[in-house]
Amino acid sequence: MVEENIQQHKKTDELSKNLDKKADAMKALRKSCKNRIDRVAEIVREQKRALKAIRAQLANSPSTIPEIAASTDMPTDIVLWYVAAMKKYGQIAEKEKDDGYYRYSLQGESHVID
Amino acid sequence: MKSIQTTTFDVMVIGGGIAGLQTALDIACQDYSVAVVEKGASIGGKMIRLSKVFPTLDCASCITTPKMAAAAHNDNITLFTCCDVKSIKRERTLSTQNISNSISPQNNNTQRNRFVLKAVVTQRARYVDADKCIGCRKCEYECPVLVSDVEQGGFSARKAISIPFSNAIPQIAVLDADNCMLCGKCEKICPTHAINYFQESYDFVIQANSIVLATGYEMTSLSDKPQYGMGKIPNVIDALQMERLLAPHGPYNRVLRPSDGKEPDSIAYIQCAGSRDRSMGVPYCSRFCCMYAIKQAMLLSGSLPLAEIRIYYMDIRAFGKGYEQFYQNAKAMGIEFVKAKVARVDAGEDGSVTLQYEDQNGYGMVTMNHDLVVASMGVISAWSPKGICNVSQGLDNFIHTINSKLSPTLTDMEGVFVAGAAAGPKDIVDTITEAGSAAIEVSKYLRYLYGKERGLKPVSTISSLKAVA
Repeated sequence: MVEENIQQHKKTDELSKNLDKKADAMKALRKSCKNRIDRVAEIVREQKRALKAIRAQLANSPSTIPEIAASTDMPTDIVLWYVAAMKKYGQIAEKEKDDGYYRYSLQGESHVID
Repeated sequence: MKSIQTTTFDVMVIGGGIAGLQTALDIACQDYSVAVVEKGASIGGKMIRLSKVFPTLDCASCITTPKMAAAAHNDNITLFTCCDVKSIKRERTLSTQNISNSISPQNNNTQRNRFVLKAVVTQRARYVDADKCIGCRKCEYECPVLVSDVEQGGFSARKAISIPFSNAIPQIAVLDADNCMLCGKCEKICPTHAINYFQESYDFVIQANSIVLATGYEMTSLSDKPQYGMGKIPNVIDALQMERLLAPHGPYNRVLRPSDGKEPDSIAYIQCAGSRDRSMGVPYCSRFCCMYAIKQAMLLSGSLPLAEIRIYYMDIRAFGKGYEQFYQNAKAMGIEFVKAKVARVDAGEDGSVTLQYEDQNGYGMVTMNHDLVVASMGVISAWSPKGICNVSQGLDNFIHTINSKLSPTLTDMEGVFVAGAAAGPKDIVDTITEAGSAAIEVSKYLRYLYGKERGLKPVSTISSLKAVA
């Protein structure tokens, strides 16, 4: 029993040492990639803002791409790109067509992009 | 110094598109071991990205996916994805190689002095342990970074870590290091602890007796064509992007104008937009653009029955079996064919595109507006052997074949063969036929090689075929 406990402690020690090593390695990796991380983080912040604005518009009523673009003050091609991505990950659904444009509405909880 | 691992196969196929897969399957079924080396994260090549094929209008994915699965499950085939071939050398070696084919010598464990092909291959880092990843996509759903999805023509987004596409083989995630901010979310959610931010690229050697180059083609870029707006005019797209719009699992699941999501009422195709054009460096005909434009026009006329569809062409080259009938069917469906070379493309009002062309029926210069314009770009070689191996290229930069009439898969490097669009623009029908031909040439060559070791008279030799050439 005592032997087993010693073995267990040894294993836990080894695991925590490995975790410490990995945390240090991750810290070093993040430091070495700081410029890239800052650049991507800025892109992600912008993407979150855009997604939030699109979701806010769609929460009001199902909208077409030009309607979303007008309310969010974003170019229509960028809005369509986000809408295509949100549709791919199940966040929004396509509704009826209105004068050549499809309407999109929010869909229930799904794979989150935010 | 790290030692480089060497793996040995009878044959190595470079390229996991339809040509490479068909060649690999045909060779593997003769009980030879085959390595398929693919630069992308999935096999399937261009064909798996297409909507339908001409002239039968069969689903492209329904043809390609079973071949991809067959290759993945074949015991004689080993797939290497995310790999780049750095060099191929023909080397004399003293080998005790075990030859897998039944015609191999009885005494196959003795040492032999022979030539083999050695390829140094770089395995690029996926940052995902391929043995642990189960393709659950939890990492993809959790990742917060959206990146433009090239697989969808850039019209939609993927995540910084993702499975390349829904029917990709292998179903292993790839982390795009350039767009990863090391937030650690994917690592935390992965149920098999497959994420490895510290993974590094490494080189290994594939030793084979024969190599088949099935490296396919690429399209010229719209950005190389100043007269057509250099890719900066909204709603001017290339044919591969239109394939994605037409595909059932495309970016919008229907055909919409990429600038604003409007369903287009008028669509135009510009033929020879990048081929038969010396200014683009592509003086030759790309062979299959006429047929895919007609195919896409027919599919569009099915999905958008009220849309006006027009094809601006120099000549329609409908040369294959059933192709002329396909062309006539398209005309009967109401698709308009205008014999003209479009001189200029400009952005019109409200997202439309203005084309200027000289009408061949005497109406002079005509200006026409369309909602969406598809440019049939030129087909160019996707891979150059320069600096990698001693295979020659033709003037068009495709792989040079030494006997294009009788044995179109022979190259000028012994043991190296070519299949599909790597040797020149080719449609899928011709590519699959040629892949079968390459497999038989490889088989003949291996029989010759292994037979020679047993002192047998060869069935035919490369030198005799060279003499014919």
